[in-house]
Amino acid sequence: MNSNDDLPVRLKGVGDSLWVTIDPAQPIERLKEALIKPFERLKHLAVNAKVIIDTGKSTASDELITELGQFLKSRFEVGRVSKPPEKKKPAYKERVRNQDMGNAWHHYRSEALVIAGRVRSGQKIVAKKHLIIMGDLNPGAEVIAGGDILVMGTLSGKAQAGQPDNEEAIVMALQFRPTQVQIGGIVAAGLASGAGDNPEFAHIDGQTIVVDNYLTNNPFKQLTWPEVR
Amino acid sequence: MEGKVIVMTSGKGGVGKTTVTASLGAALALQGKRVAIVDMDIGLRNLDVVMGLENRIVFNVVDIIQGRCKLKQAAIKDRRIDNLFLIPASQSDDKDVIKPENMVWLTNKLRKEFDFTLLDCPAGIEHGFKNSIAAADEAVVICTPDVSSVRDADRVIGLLYARSITPKLVVNRIVPKMVESGDMLSHEDIIDVLSIDLVGLVEMDDQVVVSSNTGTPLVSNKESKAGMAFQRIAMRLDGHPDLPVENPMAQKGFWKKIGKKLSRKNKDDK
Repeated sequence: MNSNDDLPVRLKGVGDSLWVTIDPAQPIERLKEALIKPFERLKHLAVNAKVIIDTGKSTASDELITELGQFLKSRFEVGRVSKPPEKKKPAYKERVRNQDMGNAWHHYRSEALVIAGRVRSGQKIVAKKHLIIMGDLNPGAEVIAGGDILVMGTLSGKAQAGQPDNEEAIVMALQFRPTQVQIGGIVAAGLASGAGDNPEFAHIDGQTIVVDNYLTNNPFKQLTWPEVR
Repeated sequence: MEGKVIVMTSGKGGVGKTTVTASLGAALALQGKRVAIVDMDIGLRNLDVVMGLENRIVFNVVDIIQGRCKLKQAAIKDRRIDNLFLIPASQSDDKDVIKPENMVWLTNKLRKEFDFTLLDCPAGIEHGFKNSIAAADEAVVICTPDVSSVRDADRVIGLLYARSITPKLVVNRIVPKMVESGDMLSHEDIIDVLSIDLVGLVEMDDQVVVSSNTGTPLVSNKESKAGMAFQRIAMRLDGHPDLPVENPMAQKGFWKKIGKKLSRKNKDDK
């Protein structure tokens, strides 16, 4: 604190403005006195300069800043005098961090369950979050996931995605012929999908399950940033 | 060398397990192997009828397991084919009298006596099925070109894999005309779903009904397409796995065949 007593005012250039750090605990006369020296040294550079008065962690009284501002304007003809800009909100920062391509998934541990092979009739696979099947799902087989279900093969069995209540989940298969699809709490039975040879996906659209071509109607194409699902 | 124990199963009833078992047993015996066929359908035996041996049953499989008779006393020798023996099921006992460990004991005995032991598994996946697969080295899954049969076969294949048994597939009762017109699943469709090794395709054949009712072996009838198919399956099971599987085709007229060949040539020219 001694150094603060010796130097109640510190000045540095930040960008196109002068950043003045003051100790608001000091009496105002002492602060004015301390300001004279550095500003005299600046000479004509102080004229019309933007000055930011930073009171550090303590909340500055607006009066103090206005008075010091008036003093600097009258004596050194500085331009604008203001408080430091408010710091950005942490939530906003968080979103920026998540959207940052380089960092979004660096520290992300996958919760997806990846299964290779054929799921046969009578077999049942339950995944907490997303489920990826690298193989076929035979008629009579059953898969349940908390998130999405992606079948890299033929889906002919029963798929329940987004259990119990995630209605954003999708069910996607390279060959989409399920006996039943459930997303969240909505069930669609016997989807007689005509196309069959294109990758298709089921999603919820207005309280019903809709099946679309995944290549032409990919819902994730619209996302501006790659994000963790 | 110890013999092999093969379980013949399907999950669904009525797909021809018993017929296939009897025919394959006869075919293997005709190829000079010592074959025992065990009827595992306790309480509902009918393999003895298909083989024409129902009037010679004295002891059955339950009697062997409970120590009332010796293996040789219960094994009935076929009238026509040497080396073919039937161990019949009990008609009066409850299916719970046999436990999987009893079957392991029995098949260990059978392996020493016979080159092949075929277990005719009952329909379903309950007690009789569990008993049958507990003791088996190999499995043949029989399936007909029906959606329901494929579904049940798929379930059974999953259960067999869970027991570390790799099953082989026989597609029974194919009607080539219906397959060609698209009214019946083709064997390619079935393999696409089941994805196991195919050992044989058997065409629908009226001779099967005749031979089952009269108790005569189907494989000794040279006229029967199904009988010939069973002979080839038997060869594949008995050390000739590379014998090509013949695809039953609908009989086409001479002119149709020529026409098809010509049209194919024209296509090539283009």
